[in-house]
Amino acid sequence: MTYTFKHNTEIYKVILNEEKNQLIVDIDGTEYPVEFSMIDNNVYSIIIDGKSTTLAVLKKGKHIQVFHNGNLHELEYISEREILKGAAIASGLEITSPMPSRVVKILKEEGDSVELDEGVIVVEAMKMESELKAPSSGKIKEIRVSEGDAVESGTILVVLSAE
Amino acid sequence: MFKKILIANRGEIAVRIIRACRDMGINTVAIYSDADRNSMHVTLADEAYRIGGPKPSESYLLKEKVIEIAKSSGAEAIHPGFGFLSENDSFAEMCEKEGIVFIGPSAESIRLMGDKITARKIAKESDVPLVPGSEGAVTDVEANRVAEKIGVPLMVKASAGGGGKGMRLVKDMNEFKSALRMARSEAQSAFGDDSVFIERFVEKPRHIEIQILADSHGNTLHLFERECSIQRRHQKVIEEAPSGFISAKTRKEMGKTAVRIAKAVNYRGAGTVEFIMDQNENFYFLEMNTRIQVEHPVTEMITGIDIVKWMIKIAHGEKLPFKQSKLKINGHAVQCRVYAEDPGMNFLPSPGKLEYVSAPSGPGIRDDSSIFSGYEVTSYYDPMLSKLIVWGENRKDAVNRMASALREYIVLGVKTNLGFLIRVMQNDEFRKADIDTGFIERHPELLTPDTDNIESSLIAAAICIDNFQEKGQDTGAGKPTSNWKILSRRLGVSRNMMI
Repeated sequence: MTYTFKHNTEIYKVILNEEKNQLIVDIDGTEYPVEFSMIDNNVYSIIIDGKSTTLAVLKKGKHIQVFHNGNLHELEYISEREILKGAAIASGLEITSPMPSRVVKILKEEGDSVELDEGVIVVEAMKMESELKAPSSGKIKEIRVSEGDAVESGTILVVLSAE
Repeated sequence: MFKKILIANRGEIAVRIIRACRDMGINTVAIYSDADRNSMHVTLADEAYRIGGPKPSESYLLKEKVIEIAKSSGAEAIHPGFGFLSENDSFAEMCEKEGIVFIGPSAESIRLMGDKITARKIAKESDVPLVPGSEGAVTDVEANRVAEKIGVPLMVKASAGGGGKGMRLVKDMNEFKSALRMARSEAQSAFGDDSVFIERFVEKPRHIEIQILADSHGNTLHLFERECSIQRRHQKVIEEAPSGFISAKTRKEMGKTAVRIAKAVNYRGAGTVEFIMDQNENFYFLEMNTRIQVEHPVTEMITGIDIVKWMIKIAHGEKLPFKQSKLKINGHAVQCRVYAEDPGMNFLPSPGKLEYVSAPSGPGIRDDSSIFSGYEVTSYYDPMLSKLIVWGENRKDAVNRMASALREYIVLGVKTNLGFLIRVMQNDEFRKADIDTGFIERHPELLTPDTDNIESSLIAAAICIDNFQEKGQDTGAGKPTSNWKILSRRLGVSRNMMI
């Protein structure tokens, strides 16, 4: 079976194959002999070419969170159907609220140009103000919230367009 | 000794205090908000009473209600932990009036040290060195004048502040106006008081603090220093004891200075005198925290003294049996605060349900936490998940042990700073103790993981999807449809046979 994942902006193709009682995983052309065991719900012990490692995996729809050595990797599973449809893969042109918060200040107006990492909007959560920055350079296409708004986690606050 | 103590707190510190009480044969009373019904402090305590809604202002901050529950449950004393009512002098006073022992210093000591400006005055009178700055709270006009005089870099700080809230660093005078506005607005929303003061910012400063333990018989001791220079948003993340930087001479001098200021306010119980230190080991008084601190375990690990138990014993009138000259530092301890937060997003809190939790164990490892699989991290409280503490014979051993323990920690469901903490443990400057409070800002590369090692995550994700799809299809006439599925089942069988 072939599974396609997106991590940040990279696309990876992962093929699971059985060969002579051994699981061979092919990632973008490189093969890894793998032995695995589920040691608890969501937790896998995986031995890759003799190297032992433990990973915890959480699937939320097409979003897969993999916890490995202290790091949480967020992967997006792209189904074959989506690939066939040639679905546009989101290009990180949105600023979303990372947690429930309140919009304190909007620093830009629609139509303004922004540089990568330039502050666009200030939100407050847990009594702390944070400046959310532009994920890429571009133009402010749409501002979907107003100062003082309470927003949920994941709400799209600002939409950018590439210039 | 007390028969019953109410713990006016939540989370790991409430658990820590409950455990200390249990060791001492003292019954415990927990209070909980609606958000905390399933929290560990509730399940571990002997008694538990609901106090109110999830917001601190509707629950853990309700002084009258806390006292009412203490009285109706027959608790003789209240341990406030840290945060919430721990540094609230009027609460300490109310306890005194109601005949309940407040496990901490007197209301008067809290009041004197709680107001940063009074604290500075007392420090000055006690011959304790201070950082140059404004004499007290300032208006916007005065703030400007002082700022011009002492120059950048400078700090704007909330008079009623603590824990990094209402604090702003100004490196360029052009930023001063907006920093002043932000500090005031944060101070207003966090403390209901927008007064701020101005202070010179010491370059490459280290944060070094002295643990104080004082009884009500006139004995005031210090339990050496902790270095807490690794901070984000001006809040400590990694703490250690002893400092890997200061000389024995400076240690002695700082200890004496801290004892002097504690004595100046007739201090009783456990407290911490915080100093800022420059690269030449000059130290300046910052503030005194009149409560148990988050990082107290590292001191416990190197001295063998259980600070929480001693707080209780002192509150009961016991005398400290230790002599300053007999106290010794044994080895080195490091603490990492594990937070539900995203280092890659400026350490923004990441609340959510913990789907799976597995804590490290082994020699010299202590996990002060209150999390478990299924625990829900809400946005009502500080998102600290655990305090991981390790002890080693020396700093190098402790740092190595910490790196290894962090790698054993599994927290699935929210973003955590675990990976970041591991990268700090591996950083050369950190390993050489070449640290200051600007360390994290100077090392943005530590904030996000190296993606070179993504293969195992991809493999796990593919196996997970594969299992999931198989489960989904198995609800029908479950015949495996691919070789891989047949193999995965056979692997399952062979595992069972091996066991």
